[in-house]
Amino acid sequence: MNTKSKKGNGGGGDAGHNKLSKQQSDDSKDYSALKVVLFYCSLIVFLPVVTFFALKGYVLERFFTMSEIKVNIGSAVGAVIALHIALGLYVYRAYFGGSKTQSKQD
Amino acid sequence: MSSTEQLSPENPIYGPFFGVMGAASAIIFSALGAAYGTAKSGTGIAAMSVMRPELIMKSIIPVVMAGIIAIYGLVVAVLIAGQLDTPVTYTLYKGFIHLGAGLSVGFSGLAAGFAIGIVGDAGVRGTAQQPRLFVGMILILIFAEVLGLYGLIVAIYLYTK
Repeated sequence: MNTKSKKGNGGGGDAGHNKLSKQQSDDSKDYSALKVVLFYCSLIVFLPVVTFFALKGYVLERFFTMSEIKVNIGSAVGAVIALHIALGLYVYRAYFGGSKTQSKQD
Repeated sequence: MSSTEQLSPENPIYGPFFGVMGAASAIIFSALGAAYGTAKSGTGIAAMSVMRPELIMKSIIPVVMAGIIAIYGLVVAVLIAGQLDTPVTYTLYKGFIHLGAGLSVGFSGLAAGFAIGIVGDAGVRGTAQQPRLFVGMILILIFAEVLGLYGLIVAIYLYTK
C-alpha cells in the first residue's frame, strides 16, 4: 500500500512538472502573441490619425494654392488608404504567421 | 445689422444645427455598429478560445475590422467639424450637405458593424473546428467592411459639393 501510494505520488509530481513547463511555454507564447497583436492594433488605430494630420499639415504647407476642402479630402483618403494597408499587414501576419508557428509546434 | 444677415433665407440661425447633427450622427451610428460588431464577435472569440487558445491572433480580425468602421465615422466627423462655422458664413445648403454626409457614413457603418458582428461570431466558432474556413471568413468580413467604405465614399463625395 505504501509503495503504491509512493508510485502514485511520483507519477503525480512528474505530471505536475510537465504541466508547469507546458504552462510556462504557453505563457511565453501568449506573451509573444500579445506583443504582435498589440503592435498591429496600435498601428491600425494610430497610423490613420497620424497620417491624416501629418498629411493635412504637410500638404497645406507644401501647396498653398490648394483649397482647404481639397486638402481635407486628400488627407482623409490618405488616412483611409494607410488604414487598409495596416489591416492588410495584420491579416497577412495572422494568416501566414499563425500557420508558421503551428507547423513549428508540430 | 448682423441679425438681418443671420435672418436671410440662405443663412438662417439654425443652419449650423444640421452640420452639427451630421458630425454627431456620423460618429454615433458608426460607433454603435462597431460596438455591436466587437461585442458579438467577442463572445464568439471567448467561446472559441476555451478549446483553441492558439487561434486567438487569427480570431481577433473581426474585432479589428469592427474598429475600422468607427474610424470611418471619425474621419467624416472630423472633416465636418472642421467646416462648421457661425451662421453668418455657414449656409443652410452646407448644413444639409453635411447632415447627408454624416447620415450616409453613420448608417452604412451601423449596417456593416451588424454584419461583421454576426459573421465574426459564426466564423470564429467555425474556424476553431475547420481551419480552412478562415479564408472564407476573411472574404465575407471584407465584403461586410466595404459596405462601410461605400458609405464613406458617398460621404466624402457629398462633402466636396
